[in-house]
Amino acid sequence: MSDHADSPAAPPSPGWSRRFPRDERIFLWLIALSVVAMTSFTIAWVAGFGNQNAPDNTFRTTPEEFRAQVGAFTAKYLGDDGKVHVPPGTDAYLMALRYGFSPNLVLKAGHSYQLLVSSIDVLHGFSIVGGHQNLNIEIVPEHVFRVTLKPEDPGTYLIIFNEFCGLRHHEMRGQIIVER
Amino acid sequence: MAYVEELPRSLPGVREEPSRICAVTGLKVYAGAQSLTVANAVAAVLALAMGGIFGTLVGLTRAPGIDALQPNAFYVALTGHGVAALILWPVFFEVAAIVFASTILLNARVFSLKLGWSAFFLMVAGGIMLVVSIVTDVRNAVMFTAYPPLVANQIFYLGYLIFAVGVVLALVNFALSIAAARAEKAYAGSLPLLTYGVAAAAILAMLSLASGLVALIPAWLYANDWIGAVEPVIYRTWFWGLGHTLQYVNVVAMVVAWYGILALTLRAGPVNQKFSRIAFVLYIIISLPVLGHHFLVDPSLGNEVKIVGGSIMGFLLGVPSLMHGLAIMGGAEYEIRRQWKTSLFGWLKKLRWDHAGVVALAGSLLIFAFGGWSGTVETTLPLNLVTHNTMNVPGHLHQTVTGGMTLAFMGFAYYLVPILVRRRLWSHKLAVVQAYGYTAGMLIMTNAQIWAGALGVPRRTADIGYGGQAPGGWELPMDIAGVGVIISGAAGGLFILIMVATLLIGKRTEDPNELVPYAVKPA
Repeated sequence: MSDHADSPAAPPSPGWSRRFPRDERIFLWLIALSVVAMTSFTIAWVAGFGNQNAPDNTFRTTPEEFRAQVGAFTAKYLGDDGKVHVPPGTDAYLMALRYGFSPNLVLKAGHSYQLLVSSIDVLHGFSIVGGHQNLNIEIVPEHVFRVTLKPEDPGTYLIIFNEFCGLRHHEMRGQIIVER
Repeated sequence: MAYVEELPRSLPGVREEPSRICAVTGLKVYAGAQSLTVANAVAAVLALAMGGIFGTLVGLTRAPGIDALQPNAFYVALTGHGVAALILWPVFFEVAAIVFASTILLNARVFSLKLGWSAFFLMVAGGIMLVVSIVTDVRNAVMFTAYPPLVANQIFYLGYLIFAVGVVLALVNFALSIAAARAEKAYAGSLPLLTYGVAAAAILAMLSLASGLVALIPAWLYANDWIGAVEPVIYRTWFWGLGHTLQYVNVVAMVVAWYGILALTLRAGPVNQKFSRIAFVLYIIISLPVLGHHFLVDPSLGNEVKIVGGSIMGFLLGVPSLMHGLAIMGGAEYEIRRQWKTSLFGWLKKLRWDHAGVVALAGSLLIFAFGGWSGTVETTLPLNLVTHNTMNVPGHLHQTVTGGMTLAFMGFAYYLVPILVRRRLWSHKLAVVQAYGYTAGMLIMTNAQIWAGALGVPRRTADIGYGGQAPGGWELPMDIAGVGVIISGAAGGLFILIMVATLLIGKRTEDPNELVPYAVKPA
């Protein structure tokens, strides 16, 4: 048998299927180790060691039902400034539809809120940017995302909708105002 | 020097077909297999040209300093870019590869030329329907993903479906060609590694297409108002069964192109083929469940499912890619050190760095490694909260699909096409410039995109100004990405020019050294 490696373009020479040599076995162990490390890290993070996690509390709805809930919520807490001032401890609703969202929320810094987010037409993205924040989730009609959110620093945060939703997609934006 | 030799007749109705012996590989090339391979490769190059033009326009619009297109035109270009560059170009090239690997590499004929050409023309028809429906009606600019309830008109979906049927026929022909080659004893022993890899890609393609039909047939019915609604989460699941599995078809085909470049330009192969073959099988096993990483921040699955199907499967997918990376680089090192007794790193100096195959292979390996890292970040559940639908995503997928796959296909095409049409590559020198330019442009573009993504810049949008409310610092990385787009766009255009010139005016030759220059410096 020559010491020339078999060409990938031809059937391999007989006896090609042999035990992995030592260097390949070491390489595989190293890869396996890194997969185990990354997996443990992820699980530990999600299990509670990380202080920012992907939400996974969701439930079904219908566009009509969600629109009615958002309407009732808005009517209850609407302020004179046209914004909805959410008292701490209250569920806040956020409804996306082409090409905007409602209502405009005002939250208090340092309090935890349950944010119920859904769409009543097509898929939208939901992205809070600014203030060194960058959080993104997907909004799907008929599904409500219940996101636990604790704003820490007061300010005005830009909300952009980063799933393509139609030809005026780039105009779609909103804000969440966080007050002291 | 064409001659025909007596064929074994184990299949009824087999006609003799003209063939020749390839001057470079010594393999028997049948005329039918050759023209079918070349036709698919030419369609692929045309699709790449189209995808590249759309992509360059998209990239130039995303750079705020240039802002080339109005929003409507931008969304048309973006949808066209997705369809032409992510679907048509890779799949046509892969069909060329499956015809090549199941016939020429096995000294065999195409099982059925009728089936092969039907597949080709269905794919062409489907591709034309898709592109025409997008460019003629802005309402069809729904991105290539077309998530319902967003809906295009039915020509768009029919284009997808007809294209998919064409690919299924090509895959059936592939399997039958291998079976026929085996029955006729056209080759002895195990399948060549390249064919084995292509077979892995074909199996993944079948899974991908099956999933795609489940997603797209209801969407087509919905577009016609024949059914009332399509559940958006279920569509997304099946669509990414198509979409992400297709990316692993692309990855496997890219790895095959790596081995192909290694075999042609260095006359080398992996030291241990078993290692490479197991890595191909791992792709098949791990690829399908990994579509979960598209839904890491969707309101559908629980975190347990997301961690297993998204994160852990995503980490595991790095395993076969790392194995192939070792096998490719190890194979090149082994061959050069065996022949020239160079030192541990001396073999790298022995490589001809003015050889397009070497540059394309090295560039593809490097950028794909970047893609692996960015993909690992995105597939980590808590980190996806930061990267989802930001510029991170196009940054990652251009590292894998464009910098990795497209560059590897380009490097492979520089040698595969001249061998098939027996014409010298129009300009080896320009091909080197092209490979360096594409590598540099893609490195700049993708890394700037990932930087932008970390700052929260959204993907798939015509404008990132948001009425002046956008956070500061968004424009710089997007403008730098625009510089990368200009460089890689120019290099992509150069590739098309070299390929077309080779096909039309390349010097006819049978000299192996002219068709495939050796990639090692002379002693």
